[in-house]
Amino acid sequence: MLNIRLMLPGLLLLLGLTSCGIAIPQDPNGTLERVTGGTLRVGVVENAGWVEVPPTGEPRGVEPALVEEFAENLDAEVEWVPGAEHELVDDIFHGQLDLLIGGFSADTPWIKEAGITRPYTETVDERGETLKHVMLVPLGENAFLLRLDRFLQAQEVEV
Amino acid sequence: MSTAEDQQTARFGHTELPEEQKAALRKAVRVEWVTIGFLAVSTLLVYLVLGNSQAMKAAWIEDLLSFLPPISFLVATRVIRRRPSETHPYGYHRAVGVAHLVAAVALLVMGGYLVVDSALKLITTEHPTIGGITLFGSTFWLGWLMVLAMLLTAGPPVVLGLIKMKLARTLHDKVLYADADMNKADWMTALAAAVGVLGIGVGLWWADPVAAILISTSILHDGIKNVRGAIGALTDTRARTFDDAEPHPIGERIDSYLRSLHWVRDARSRVRDEGHVFHIEAFVVPRRTTRATLHRIEKARRTCIEMDWKVQDMVIVPVAELPEEFLPGLTRGGAERQ
Repeated sequence: MLNIRLMLPGLLLLLGLTSCGIAIPQDPNGTLERVTGGTLRVGVVENAGWVEVPPTGEPRGVEPALVEEFAENLDAEVEWVPGAEHELVDDIFHGQLDLLIGGFSADTPWIKEAGITRPYTETVDERGETLKHVMLVPLGENAFLLRLDRFLQAQEVEV
Repeated sequence: MSTAEDQQTARFGHTELPEEQKAALRKAVRVEWVTIGFLAVSTLLVYLVLGNSQAMKAAWIEDLLSFLPPISFLVATRVIRRRPSETHPYGYHRAVGVAHLVAAVALLVMGGYLVVDSALKLITTEHPTIGGITLFGSTFWLGWLMVLAMLLTAGPPVVLGLIKMKLARTLHDKVLYADADMNKADWMTALAAAVGVLGIGVGLWWADPVAAILISTSILHDGIKNVRGAIGALTDTRARTFDDAEPHPIGERIDSYLRSLHWVRDARSRVRDEGHVFHIEAFVVPRRTTRATLHRIEKARRTCIEMDWKVQDMVIVPVAELPEEFLPGLTRGGAERQ
């Protein structure tokens, strides 16, 4: 059985924090705060149609366009980091990236290494399976994730 | 021990419950169905908002495990209705013990798994990720829904638990008692999960695995307690009260009644709990001067059976002196082993 006396201080602390007008959720590592008015470090993985990474110049495609608009929303500069998928996943896991795009779908195997957004659009692949498209964010940076989710859900994404 | 005559005259297959217990049993069956209905709704609700919170996962698994006691109770009450048969001369009362053990092992295993799983999340500093959800056109934090689901499902089990606790006493049913005991503590689980999620909300990622550890420890604790109780019952621990708090007083009452009889010099019995009813072997040492006639023994037995509905299966064995081998602790005088 649980001991209510152990939980009470925690509960009171939380009630105190919430009533002080602290925004919920918060980022344990302060991603949203750092990115706002600063630099958004975005990993890009080549994925035809979704993310195209030319040898020179900025990435193009559905997702880079979304990211640019999101960054504008946050008054942030985008720093594009191209690379191989597993390297970039490792980077985001270790907090060296704020966002990772590459036409990922909701059934991505990277859920231990990164958080995923709500699906912002759906497509059907050549085998007739529905793909729910998501972006990857650092684990547990929930304020940043919610901000991105809000932004993505408000977009009409045509593919 | 008991003679062939004893067995023939004993009312062995007496499975009729008194009116009070019959009503309690009917009510208990109804309440357990209500419990199952509530659990179906609450597990679905919690599943829908489960997300990445370890505390929510632990609370959800506890909800799933909560199905076991009501189901085992309902199955066991069906099985023990059967009358004793040639192959089961003691009846089917032990079905209760089996059901209890099955439910208890499930609690123990899942509780242990969740403790380890949650501790690993804490050790590997895995930050739980909870993002937004879009409902009715607006996107808000999923954590709020989790807290809401937890608060909604916190109350009803407590009420059900309190009702079942009373019935468990009336029916002397340990499965029902274990179930009621778990239900009664359920609100704390729900609260712990809600606190864990709110902790994530304010940026304390560790609040979630810590809440999960608290919840799973409570599941594990329930498991250990129940496995101990169930194994105790199946290995013929002396009969105890429905909550295992103390030895059941009926043994003492029977002994002192038998000792008070004018033809009895000494008496001592051993009592085991078959599930709802007791098996009692009472050894009596008759006085030399007053003979233990068959009539006197019969009358004593009837009186004992009328003391309590649980005393149905009782034999009185006249002996020259109390047999140490059947009554351990005899030489230490007075109190039996607790």
